[in-house]
Amino acid sequence: MNIRGVLIEDTFAEAFTMRAARLLITGASSRWAMAAALKLTGFATSVIGCKCEAGIEHELATKDTPDGRPGVSVLFMTMSKDDMPKRLIERVGQTVLTCPTTACFDGFPAAPDRVGVGSALRFFGDGFQASKVIGGERYWRVPVMEGEFLVQEKFGMIKAVGGGNFLILARTAEAALAAAEAAVDAMAGLPGVFLPFPGGVVRSGSKVGSRRSKTMIASTNDAFCPTLRAITKSDLAEGVNSVLEIVINGIDAPAISQAMRAGIDAACRQDVVSISAGNYGGKLGPHHFHLRKIMSEGTAA
Amino acid sequence: MSDRIVLTLRTRPAGAVDASSLALHDWTDRPGAEIAKLSVRVTGAGSVALGDLFSIAGERAPRIRLTGDFSAFEGLGAELAGGDITIEGDVGPRVGTRMRAGQIRVTGSAGWGAGLEMSGGVLEIGRDAGPRAGGAALGAKRGMTGGELIIRGNAGAEAGAAMRRGLVVVGGDAGEGAGRTTIAGTVVVFGATGPNPGQWSKRGTVVALGPVTPPATYRFACTYRPQYLGVLLRHLGTDRRLPVTAEHLTGFYKRYSGDLAELGAGEILAWTRT
Repeated sequence: MNIRGVLIEDTFAEAFTMRAARLLITGASSRWAMAAALKLTGFATSVIGCKCEAGIEHELATKDTPDGRPGVSVLFMTMSKDDMPKRLIERVGQTVLTCPTTACFDGFPAAPDRVGVGSALRFFGDGFQASKVIGGERYWRVPVMEGEFLVQEKFGMIKAVGGGNFLILARTAEAALAAAEAAVDAMAGLPGVFLPFPGGVVRSGSKVGSRRSKTMIASTNDAFCPTLRAITKSDLAEGVNSVLEIVINGIDAPAISQAMRAGIDAACRQDVVSISAGNYGGKLGPHHFHLRKIMSEGTAA
Repeated sequence: MSDRIVLTLRTRPAGAVDASSLALHDWTDRPGAEIAKLSVRVTGAGSVALGDLFSIAGERAPRIRLTGDFSAFEGLGAELAGGDITIEGDVGPRVGTRMRAGQIRVTGSAGWGAGLEMSGGVLEIGRDAGPRAGGAALGAKRGMTGGELIIRGNAGAEAGAAMRRGLVVVGGDAGEGAGRTTIAGTVVVFGATGPNPGQWSKRGTVVALGPVTPPATYRFACTYRPQYLGVLLRHLGTDRRLPVTAEHLTGFYKRYSGDLAELGAGEILAWTRT
């Protein structure tokens, strides 16, 4: 399969089941909602080193937020159910509670699986906190120097998919970057997905384990490193001199498929040789996104 | 099975009617003939079958509509655990007493004790409510423990008295002692709030969107925008169709802490335009 002269390789991205929460962060202005969202989603690229993965889904208009103020929708993922409350309490406590004017609401109100967040953060109020039930949902009012911080008691948690991906194999580093930027722009704001890495792009794709250390769970993906072509079993075709990866997490497989379709299509540009994907032979992750199937049929793998 | 059961009152009973047992029955599985056999107690007449008081249409439905003057009926909708009751007209005392879930809508006014000790669901009074709406029965320590009581007109004295949780909203004016002795919970008054609101309250909130004078045992804390009011007022405006204005949402509120003669963790939030 070719798209505008770019080969779509006959391979698939292998992704994992994760747990996701959606946080609606509001503020007096979009500036402050975004400030909290950026801090909350900072250093949340991979569970390998960050214990969670998070990203901004999209900005929210005043009509779409629980308190009628500007907001930001954040998707937040962990590998297990048990990790979710710990990570949320840490992050909301350190980045939203601390941020002027912000409040934090649950974005998955229909999810039956609920994790306590406000129920733990309330203790910062040192006994001066108060709760209110509005429309059947409990909120905590935590007094702070600025006024009050409002946080919902519980947040919904759903099963989600982490690790959807595709690789852009290009003739030059400039071409790979331009294609990656175009792909990220095409995926920006699509519902139900986020790109956890800086600017949505990864330059350091990894393989499982290490050649030299038994304790490392991931190390550089030498098969896709152009500088190692001559000394390792390379997967790079002739003429490929740079590879960038786009990792996509989503609330379900169709959301990831939709984003991959938009991103791959945008990445098929001049000086891009092929589009590939990272997988582990299909043995580790239950979600397989076959590139050619996604691009031809538009259906989830 | 019908969409709803309609009971039309033939004539206003001469004596008071104890209707507090009606909502205990499962109306969704009851044919019309059985509904007619259900009875209420009428002062001076003893047990009277519904078929003698009402003309009945429909059967086996979760929605019930009563039309007529029910000001002699006490405890209509008491202990409701689900479903939907519409009362077209005025209703007597203690409508929705101890209701746990579901919805009761009264298009007219209600006597004293509307929503007395209710713990869930939504009770809506289209016009005025008598004293102690959402409150505790006389001598009881605890009033409302959950749910929402919406009074679109004025409320009598001691609305929300001794409430533990829940929400009482008064679209018009509230009488003396709104939120008195509350343990927690919220009373919102769109009109004027009468004397001594929140008196002896432990943790309750009185939101006054009209004129209010806090008791002497409340102390001014600050002027600010409570974030949670944005959520609460949007809920009242959107879901309950109450006259919430943009000024209510964007305005400032003076916070008075009290009752300092009690725990002092309660508050009166008095809306101010500036």
